[in-house]
Amino acid sequence: MRLAWGPQDEAFRAELVAFLDEHTPPEARAGADFMGEYSGDEIVPQWLRDWQATLFDHGWMIPGYPPELGGRNCTPVQTLIYLETMAERRVPRSGHFPGYAIVTPSLLEYGDDAQRALAPAAARGDTVWCIGMSEPDAGSDLAGLKTRAELRGDHFVVNGQKVWTSYAQIADKCFCYVRTDPAAPKHKGISVLIIDMDSPGIEVRPLTHITRKADFAEVFFTDVVVPRENLVGPLNGGWAITQGSLAHERAGLWVEGVARFEQTVGALVELARRTGRDRDPVARRRIAAAYELATSLRALGYKGFASYAQGSSAPEHSYMKLATSEAGKAAFELGMELCGAYGAVTDPDRGQEAGRWVTSFFVSFANTIAGGSSEIQRNIVAQRVLGLPRG
Amino acid sequence: MDFTPTEHQTLLRETLRKLLERECPAALVRAHVDDPGVHEPLWTHLREYVALGTGPATDCCLALEETGHAAAPGPFLATVGLYTPLTGDETPGTVAIAGSAGEWLPNDEPVKTFVLEADRVERIAVVCPGPAVAVIERPGPERLRPVATVDFSRRVFELDTTGLALEARPLERGAFDRWRARAYASIAAEMVGTARRILGMALDHARHRHQFGVPIGSFQAIQHKLADMSLALERATAAVHYAAMTVDAGHPDLLRAAHAAKAAAGDAARRILKDGIQIHGGIGYTWEHDLHLYLRRATADEYLLGTTGWHLDRLADLLFA
Ligand SMILES: Cc1cc2nc3c(=O)[nH]c(=O)nc-3n(C[C@H](O)[C@H](O)[C@H](O)COP(=O)(O)OP(=O)(O)OC[C@H]3O[C@@H](n4cnc5c(N)ncnc54)[C@H](O)[C@@H]3O)c2cc1C
Repeated sequence: MRLAWGPQDEAFRAELVAFLDEHTPPEARAGADFMGEYSGDEIVPQWLRDWQATLFDHGWMIPGYPPELGGRNCTPVQTLIYLETMAERRVPRSGHFPGYAIVTPSLLEYGDDAQRALAPAAARGDTVWCIGMSEPDAGSDLAGLKTRAELRGDHFVVNGQKVWTSYAQIADKCFCYVRTDPAAPKHKGISVLIIDMDSPGIEVRPLTHITRKADFAEVFFTDVVVPRENLVGPLNGGWAITQGSLAHERAGLWVEGVARFEQTVGALVELARRTGRDRDPVARRRIAAAYELATSLRALGYKGFASYAQGSSAPEHSYMKLATSEAGKAAFELGMELCGAYGAVTDPDRGQEAGRWVTSFFVSFANTIAGGSSEIQRNIVAQRVLGLPRG
Repeated sequence: MDFTPTEHQTLLRETLRKLLERECPAALVRAHVDDPGVHEPLWTHLREYVALGTGPATDCCLALEETGHAAAPGPFLATVGLYTPLTGDETPGTVAIAGSAGEWLPNDEPVKTFVLEADRVERIAVVCPGPAVAVIERPGPERLRPVATVDFSRRVFELDTTGLALEARPLERGAFDRWRARAYASIAAEMVGTARRILGMALDHARHRHQFGVPIGSFQAIQHKLADMSLALERATAAVHYAAMTVDAGHPDLLRAAHAAKAAAGDAARRILKDGIQIHGGIGYTWEHDLHLYLRRATADEYLLGTTGWHLDRLADLLFA
């Protein structure tokens, strides 16, 4: 156990830092505020699209991949250093994560040659993807999805509805989970289709987020024709693909969550100073507890990474999503509390930081719901990590 | 930050785990309630490991997780976690520092409180204002007053130094802080070990106890408690390893990391001991069941070398400095 990485790895970090110093666009330098949303009306601003392409072209988009996929074949430790550095500097990689983070690795792992050929554009962000998983009656219970795809010779006909679909309004393609065998047990009748979003029969209705600052969407499919060759992986074998996200980055996905949380704790210290609450023993103790949480979560992430890099399973990572999302929410609450009577004020000329704390509190609600709610994470820890029997 | 244990560390941990399974079963911890002498055979084995006190903090903490897991009685923590790192002397020893308020910081009060295992060590390092350290031979019982706590596995004393000629050697501030950080990490390591023991017992019980025709571990209310207990434990364990690494590296963050580790361990231990007995139900409330031996240790350790709240307050002092 030691604090420093080896010289080769530190050289890797230095090269990345030099690249970022030279190329990071001014908009990214100004930084997303710590809740990761950019001002402006566009869902994905043009500068951010350009930046993703620049990262890709220089092998800094997914560094563990080969150059043709936007990488430089770096080691797992170097990938971790990459994620760490990007997060510390608050430099975004992309304005639409599904393409590079979920679709690219899934295509590479499960796709045929023609589908694998879609991966570079997905990773570079040239193609915008959305993920069609959730439906009105299938959220946490994803395997309960009903959107029906009927195979008719050389094509499927798709009917049904997706909901909470992020980026659907701007997406070129949807990585869509559909029911292809209604008679089979629910996990065994699901397939994945690549659906062009401009296909006739698709209707996208924007749904505004709770913050009113961003949208996801409902997507309706009415007799949408999808060529058979757009089936990813085996027919009725879609459930396996739900598990496939950036396998080699999974061990480092916690980095950004922890870095954001640390930045939030730093902001709490500043806020307490500005509001005079740095003299309040209760506030001081609560901020220290948040700092303790940040320190221990970072350590836990690295500890899990060490087991992963040694080839063992890393139960630590099952904890990280649960812990960082809940920690963030609690820290924003503390920030609001430090604002005193102004905790709910969003007026930019009154209160603190234009309502940054209460707004972030609202944004943070999503983190304990989306991508497997906190309750589902606890079920996973209890059943898969601790080996308790299913209820 | 590389958390991979070295081969040597893995071996150390496994050797100690086996040794303690053999030499420190629950029956020994229970026998120690009425007869403190029963720890002696165990101590002859653990004594062979006192050099850990002058070696890397990471190795020492891994060992202490095992003694905590076994709730091992005896002066192992006092020696390798406190005395040896302060003095460089591998003789069994302990450290006297806190005064009447029980705060583990240098003070000029003659009566020192919370001196661990003072009647079974050979030497005591008395920390004086400065800070400075005076090492004395263990005095007779007239200067040592045992103080009963809820924990029967650890013995705590008051040491009266009134009238003793203390030849104190000054300590550099940096060295003292490094020693403190190491001491906090050391007790935190024992605490996560004890918490792991309790969590293990609760998990075992959840798997084997049936109610309503099913294992209680299949109830979601129990599963979610166990998931949160386990998260608290893993977090605290990682925080302890990080703190130990910062001590070994002489990293400027070492005090923050150590305060965080002791606070994380205190939090985890408290959550795990409360939910641990809750999951056991009535059987856990009996004297006959071994659970309380570990609940006692976990409860009392939170108050040694600074409570959770005290460590958070010191951490706040550093954050707002
Ligand atoms: C901002 C945002 C973006 C999203 N983007 C996408 C996207 O791009 N594509 C997509 O497909 N989906 C997306 N989602 C949907 C997201 O994946 C679902 O909201 C999530 O899976 C939860 O499903 P649900 O909303 O139907 O809630 P439900 O599953 O109905 O859950 C409601 C409550 O019940 C609890 N619950 C459910 N099952 C259990 C159980 N077994 N044990 C204990 N408690 C349980 C949950 O924890 C929750 O508290 C997004 C959601 C958000 C908030």
